[in-house]
Amino acid sequence: MCTFLGGGMQADEDKESTMQWQDEQRGGAIVALPVGRVDEFTAQGFSAYLDASVDKAAGTPSKALIVDMAGLDYMSSRGLRSLTLAKRKADGAGVTITLAAPNGVMREILAISRYDKIFAVSDSIDDAL
Amino acid sequence: MLVRFWGTRGSLAVAQTAKTVRDKVAHALVTAGGRSFADDAAAKAFIDAELDFATSGTYGGATTCVEIDPAGEESAFIVCDMGSGLREFGIDAFRRMAEGHPRVFHFFLSHLHWDHIMGFPFFGPAFDPASRIIIHSGHPDAEQALRRQQEEISFPVPFDWLRAKIEFSTLEPGIPYAIEDLTVELMQQHHSHVSYGYRFTDSDGKVAVFSTDSEHKIERMDGEADVAFFFRDADLVVCDTMYSLADSVSMKEDWGHSSNIVAIDLCHEAAAKRLALFHHEPTYSDEDLQRMHRESIRYEELTREDNPLEVLCAYDGLEVRL
Ligand SMILES: [Zn+2]
Ligand SMILES: [Zn+2]
Repeated sequence: MCTFLGGGMQADEDKESTMQWQDEQRGGAIVALPVGRVDEFTAQGFSAYLDASVDKAAGTPSKALIVDMAGLDYMSSRGLRSLTLAKRKADGAGVTITLAAPNGVMREILAISRYDKIFAVSDSIDDAL
Repeated sequence: MLVRFWGTRGSLAVAQTAKTVRDKVAHALVTAGGRSFADDAAAKAFIDAELDFATSGTYGGATTCVEIDPAGEESAFIVCDMGSGLREFGIDAFRRMAEGHPRVFHFFLSHLHWDHIMGFPFFGPAFDPASRIIIHSGHPDAEQALRRQQEEISFPVPFDWLRAKIEFSTLEPGIPYAIEDLTVELMQQHHSHVSYGYRFTDSDGKVAVFSTDSEHKIERMDGEADVAFFFRDADLVVCDTMYSLADSVSMKEDWGHSSNIVAIDLCHEAAAKRLALFHHEPTYSDEDLQRMHRESIRYEELTREDNPLEVLCAYDGLEVRL
């Protein structure tokens, strides 16, 4: 398991906008746990970690990446669009991405952006596995 | 500064059908629940208090045309784009010119796609020999586009028959232009044959930005700081919000348009005060647009960090005073 300070890559320190990332192999899939908020300051880091996790998932038996959304306060369009970039890469590598356990705010954002129509969304990690 | 929306639809002009109006009337009657109203004023008070906009009104269906009225006595008319909404503006301009308004028009064209120029052959003042029309554009081929749509194969009245004094001026991004009492700047945007956004600053420092037909590509998110800078501290940003974010990055990627979500994020980043959702999808009903407006207000609340951004949904006839 590894931990990075996502915001460190390009964060504006005054804004104290941070995002952390962990991922691990579980049940044949990669489960990633971003924590914090994904906005204009942390989106680039978020994108880089997603990318690396897609690579890891491509090497697992089930070729599945589950993004545990429970630790995310919210996500702006930058984060959503990073998810799309990751999905393109994942599609090319035969990896499926599932967004699991979003909080109430994230659920609303996924609905308003219609991202719940282009991504699989599940209530829990167990449901996604 | 007063901003008047004469046309707010994107791509294709649309009109309400008899069925749609009938549905609205039925919904209004059911909501009234048998109440009677003494006169029109009482009925209108009920409409304003109890009916939603999709029932009591309509977002309209004319294509893009937005007037920036600096409200100075001697100022010329300032108009962004020449969509089908321009016809209605032309009629109103005659009324105002009869009351002494100068017969000078400055147009600023976002780009030359048909939905943004189709109103010009129906613009009455273009036939008035006393009118002077200056057409500003980032595109050097603006004149060609306007002449071409009045060639005989497309339209019975050739461009050369227009009696007004018509001039073309090509503007460049990065240069502040003083036009009437306004400072005008433009920004190139990502769109087929490119488009330009305009930033108007009046003598009181009020700022209106007109940014339509602009796609914000997901591979180029780092370039969005420039867009946020162009929108900075604006009192009103008129933004292309034609598609949902999901559509704009999937099926409708590279169609040249943006989403409500990205527009709100950019306005937040820019610390803008007001956003007008604009260039509405022609297949959207009034209810669809009202839902999109409500969802946009909600997304703004959910993602707000500093000052609130007021989110308006532009409709034909909307006036916003800055
Ligand atoms: Zn258009
Ligand atoms: Zn266009």
